[in-house]
Amino acid sequence: MEVFLQQCVNAISLGGIYALLALGLAVVFSIVRLINFAHGEVMTIAGYAIWLALLSSVPVVAAIILGITVAMLASVAMERIAFRAMRGASVTSLLITSFAVSEIVKVLFQNGISARPVPIVLPAWMSGSINMGFLTISVMSLISIIVVAVSLVALSVILTRTTLGVAMRAAAEDFPVVRLVGIKANHVVALAFAISGALAGVAAVLWVAQRGSVDPLMGAAPVLKAFIATVLGGLGSLSGAVLGGFVVGAVEVFLQGYLPESVAPYREAISLSIIIGLLVLRPDGLWPAQNVNRS
Amino acid sequence: MMTKLTAKLAAVLFGTTLLAAPALAEDFVIGVTAAQSGWLATYDQPSYAGFKFCIDEINAKGGLGGKYKAVIDVRDTRSDTAEAVKVAQEFADKKVNFIVSPADGDPTMAMGQITSPAGIPTMTFAGTAPILTSVGEFVFGSYPGDNQQAAVLGAYAAELGYKTAWLLKSPDSSYTMKGPEYFGQVFEAKGGKVIGEGSFTLNQPDFSAIVTTIKALDPQPDVIATWAWEPDFPAFIKALRGAGVTTPVMGADVLDTPTVRGLGDVVNGIVHTSGGYPEPGSKHADFNARFKAATGMEADTNYVVNGCDIALMIDAAVTAAGSSDPKAVRDALANLKDSPGNMSNFTFAGTDRMPLRAVVLAKIENGQKTFIRRQLADPATMPKP
Amino acid sequence: MLSVEGLVVRYGPIEAVRGIDFTVNRGEVFALLGANGAGKSSTLAAIAGLVKPFAGRITYDGKPVSGLPPETLSRAGIGLVPEGRRIFASLTVAENLWLGGAAHGSTAERQQLQKEMEERFPILGERARQKAGLLSGGEQQMLAIARALMARPKLLLLDEPSLGLAPQMVEKVFDLIAAMRKEGLTILLVEQNVPMSLQIADRGIVLANGHIVVSGTGVELLHNSDVTNAYLAA
Repeated sequence: MEVFLQQCVNAISLGGIYALLALGLAVVFSIVRLINFAHGEVMTIAGYAIWLALLSSVPVVAAIILGITVAMLASVAMERIAFRAMRGASVTSLLITSFAVSEIVKVLFQNGISARPVPIVLPAWMSGSINMGFLTISVMSLISIIVVAVSLVALSVILTRTTLGVAMRAAAEDFPVVRLVGIKANHVVALAFAISGALAGVAAVLWVAQRGSVDPLMGAAPVLKAFIATVLGGLGSLSGAVLGGFVVGAVEVFLQGYLPESVAPYREAISLSIIIGLLVLRPDGLWPAQNVNRS
Repeated sequence: MMTKLTAKLAAVLFGTTLLAAPALAEDFVIGVTAAQSGWLATYDQPSYAGFKFCIDEINAKGGLGGKYKAVIDVRDTRSDTAEAVKVAQEFADKKVNFIVSPADGDPTMAMGQITSPAGIPTMTFAGTAPILTSVGEFVFGSYPGDNQQAAVLGAYAAELGYKTAWLLKSPDSSYTMKGPEYFGQVFEAKGGKVIGEGSFTLNQPDFSAIVTTIKALDPQPDVIATWAWEPDFPAFIKALRGAGVTTPVMGADVLDTPTVRGLGDVVNGIVHTSGGYPEPGSKHADFNARFKAATGMEADTNYVVNGCDIALMIDAAVTAAGSSDPKAVRDALANLKDSPGNMSNFTFAGTDRMPLRAVVLAKIENGQKTFIRRQLADPATMPKP
Repeated sequence: MLSVEGLVVRYGPIEAVRGIDFTVNRGEVFALLGANGAGKSSTLAAIAGLVKPFAGRITYDGKPVSGLPPETLSRAGIGLVPEGRRIFASLTVAENLWLGGAAHGSTAERQQLQKEMEERFPILGERARQKAGLLSGGEQQMLAIARALMARPKLLLLDEPSLGLAPQMVEKVFDLIAAMRKEGLTILLVEQNVPMSLQIADRGIVLANGHIVVSGTGVELLHNSDVTNAYLAA
């Protein structure tokens, strides 16, 4: 029982990070129909920003805030430099553009810093654990879960209480009409990328804190999972992305925890099969977006 | 096909003419694959830096065997085995004299399937899976093999009084899969017992589930052994220590990097194998100093000095062969015995082309690599590949 | 107030509007009639900035506006109630209205205007917190018009406002158009309900295949046989 509860904590903690990343992908996709594969590189950029800050003896909290801010700016800059010129292009052209951006950023880090991982050392209390009687939770998992919860609440406040946030939800449904009422398209798109970048930044903080190193490929693996999560949740659906993130995280953790040793090597295949199975049952995703196809 | 046919025709028609051309014999072309990106870059890049440095030194002293100018043709593989195979084919077509393949067994084995039939000696930068030489007579290792490292590490674990071990493996590479298994064999031969194992995926995002499994083990193992590398090892050890598991952890030569040592408290006390240790006054320390003076870069991993030793091995083989002919070089290399290297001396004679070299046991203490001891693997307990 | 000269709208190789000229005077209801595919909606889209005209000039309030983006035109006072209503179904009724005025006026002005809208369309007040997608077709049309009015337009483009509505709702829509004109709004109306449109319109034109086939006052057009022919021909 204790192990099961512990695995549940692990699943929520990992799923939460996937949910943040998936949400970042979904926010952008819902508005500009861009599946942003460079999202992982936003994470990587945040990771290196934290590394550089810590290297320059910036206090941890400031380094973390800096990392998230840099991620936000990087995401907005990517839109400004690469994606704005492609606005309105087909989903495929946008996808390929994002691959290009992703490759460029990776190569910049490989050649500019190092292809090798660089270590990030966070204060010791962050890598400790807390005994909660029947359960020992690592501080990082706890922080992770709290941070994810706070981020999700903050995002929902932005999306329901601010004009641009409401405009973003409207734009996901029908962008031309949002422009027709006089709201500037560039503002809405920039906000979407800023939110997406901030979420990637938060995910990056949790990621590097748990893993202890940053490398140029850091963002690739989690964003692939997050992409699976957005598809599973329903492409373009924000609630779906969050749900998908938690499902992907749970599938990963429970298969790792409970699959017998003999079939363990097929874990990834089994986990993807489960997800394909879910998609066969619900082809539009677990929680599809409204009017995704209306142009 | 075309090229092979043309080459045969050329050999028949002009064979004598080609062999007689002295201008061609001056250059000794070494095809090198070094990943600029991807996970192999971590190991290929320092290896290549050391290799290039010593090839330059050798050229400055008159070349390989004192007469052949070494010319490096370096290619990026992006850590992609398919790309490595493509490059191998190009090297074979170009008829290079020697090939240095990536720092891992798997791409080296893939390349060896082309280069060995083509008769070009091929040496991995730092691949340590002992089975890597099984693909062909022309394929060589350079670093002490996993079975040598495991023999030394497993024996040391038993010597520390550990009775039970738990192995963390990944089926995604022969290194991460076979290394812990060799460790287990030696550990059991020395009276220990392997009480369980877990598996991970290379570049696995999260290790919390594995750690929970380890934490729930009753009784707890005395030691955990893994051949995991970056960024998986940092992620694993952070999660393990974060969950409050204090079981000692042992690992292989891949842990010999500043990144691992830079992880802070969580890596304190980790014991790992290594190919060498730069004791003051040693050739290794001398090399590191020369390298730093010339390049301005710290030789902060053993892959740098090992890269240099590969250049020395080629030089020793060419000297012994007295020729640049790939077959002659291969035979001379395979017969080298206690030939001097910077990191350690190397012996190919009597092995199946994985060199017998000293293994260093090291411990990470407060971010520093500390020396435990240096020893040759005991042939009696060394697992068969 | 609005003048269109030689307007051509193309979608790739397809020419939807092939050089039309007309002028809408301040304070009038101007009807744009024609069969499906005659080029009516494309004309409105070009005026509102949703498509860039291929050729021609659009002048609004004496300034050239062709090719400007929709957000600029909205800020200049051109409002469009698009065909099919296109309300934001997943947003609440109140959020729809709020967005309508988001780019216009101060927060206080917007709150005041929103209150007025909810008084003018009581159903929108009652359902303010409901998802707009749950409204009936007629209610959605009211919301779409109210959303456009939130931007305090000077020129309102209405694209098929009565399409698919129940008869008493259709009447309500036309009553509303009449009321808005009384309040001084200039209206460019695209409709398939020809008799009702021409009864209310001051002037109008009939399009067929992207060309103007006939123009005149509402009453003239109502009695012109070419108008009916234009529909039959399509």
